[in-house]
Amino acid sequence: MATKEDILEALADYQVQCNNNTRLRRMQRDWSKLIHFLAEDTGDYFTMDVVKGEIVSYEAVAKGAPDIIVTTVSENLCDMFWGDLNPSQKYLAGEIKVKASQEDIIRLDAITMIIWPDV
Amino acid sequence: MDYEKMKKQALADFAEYVGPMKARTMKNAGLDIIEGRREGASVWDLTGKKYIDCQTGSGIMNVGRHNREIAQALKDALDTLDIGVFLLCSKQKADLAKKLAEITPGDLKCTIFGTGGGEANDAALKLARGYTMKKEIIYAQKAYHGHTGFALSAIGRDAYKEPFEPLIPGFKMVPFGNAQAVRDVFTKDTAAVILEPIQGEGGINLPPQGYLQEVRKICDEHEALLILDEIQTGFARTGKMFASEHWGVVPDIMTVAKSLGGGIYPISATIFKEELMDFFVPHPFIHLSTFGGSDLGCIVGLAVIDYIEKNHLAENAARMGDRFRVGFDRFLKDYPDLLLEVRQMGLMIGLQYTNSSIGPRLTKKLADRGVIAVYTGNDPAICRFMPPLVITPEDVDFVLNALEDSMRELSKETGIGKND
Repeated sequence: MATKEDILEALADYQVQCNNNTRLRRMQRDWSKLIHFLAEDTGDYFTMDVVKGEIVSYEAVAKGAPDIIVTTVSENLCDMFWGDLNPSQKYLAGEIKVKASQEDIIRLDAITMIIWPDV
Repeated sequence: MDYEKMKKQALADFAEYVGPMKARTMKNAGLDIIEGRREGASVWDLTGKKYIDCQTGSGIMNVGRHNREIAQALKDALDTLDIGVFLLCSKQKADLAKKLAEITPGDLKCTIFGTGGGEANDAALKLARGYTMKKEIIYAQKAYHGHTGFALSAIGRDAYKEPFEPLIPGFKMVPFGNAQAVRDVFTKDTAAVILEPIQGEGGINLPPQGYLQEVRKICDEHEALLILDEIQTGFARTGKMFASEHWGVVPDIMTVAKSLGGGIYPISATIFKEELMDFFVPHPFIHLSTFGGSDLGCIVGLAVIDYIEKNHLAENAARMGDRFRVGFDRFLKDYPDLLLEVRQMGLMIGLQYTNSSIGPRLTKKLADRGVIAVYTGNDPAICRFMPPLVITPEDVDFVLNALEDSMRELSKETGIGKND
């Protein structure tokens, strides 16, 4: 189980990885979404605001009306933000649930492919 | 078998069920041919009359009519394969895309497959807009890029477009060959410039020296893309594998079709620089084609490229082009009232006649003498010669003799001359 603080630390790194990746920023520049992450084992919510491909903020609350909701156990969230797991495989195994359009699910996978090509 | 009867029936059925006006136009031009046997640069009418094909579907048959090696490659593939499921990854697609990356200029690398030239240009224009997130497309007067949606919007001939308006917005037309005109219409919202390196349907219009290089520079200055449509000029037609190589210009996107299928199987390709793939990473299924780049088509495409390389068709195109040129230069001197100019690069040839009645009349006279060469849609005063690149010196001489006889005959008729 990962704590709220563990996940926030991983999110901070994820934000840096994404925002500092020029290729990713260019690729995602037409993508603005409010994303909720729910750690179902701890009940912790996280909100990430992506504006034109840039992660402008994240916080440990459920805020606003989300375009995408990602639900999984806290450990998976932590590993996902550190780049230690392949979210698509977990999604296909039913361990990560995503409520979003198919296009947005592909976008999330594309982000992982760009910042962690070996995952 | 009564071939005369068979031909007559085929023409009548075509007129009734496919296109009455097309059948009539072909008949009037002496081109009421029903193709039978095909080989090398030649095609035989069902009734047995032989023609040298200098039309070749505007450059489909670079490897010759019914090339046996290409046909055999397709036959072999058909023993085990079908077109494949377009949604899956494919070895054949990967093999051809890799080969295209190898033979195209500069750092062109990735490919979207399609079935025809219009589809290839549609893909190019969509990619340009998607990647740059800009809207405007600059294209040239007399340009021809196909009859599908985006491509049609970039055709420089109103007659093809007007019945279907409104077309896709954001397309701006400029004169071909004038780089300053391109610069003048550029804005911060310009996504791309699309050009044929040599205009085909427009009348075999060669770019002035420095034009393509300057347009490349303008695109770079504005972070816009350069799309070169090599659908007619590609695959050794002009004496190099791609016409853009003559000017050392590498586009961001190149489209090819026609001859990639060797006249055997329809296939086209939109080849682009790797950085543009970033548009498709988050949108991997945004542009699909059921039949585009089918496994069979890719096998044919690879066989075509192999044949062109192995048989040095680029060199033959240059050599046979030079042989044609000797004859044309003589005709320019001998028939100044008929022939105004010859525009040529390799076996991409345009004869500019002195008036617009000459094209149709010479087309008819050439057909009577066993040569298929048709005036362009944009201008009947221009006749396009695009024979197969396997054409032999004997065939070239046959065409030149037929052209000279036709011009000699025409020069004695009334209604000919610069002022008619």
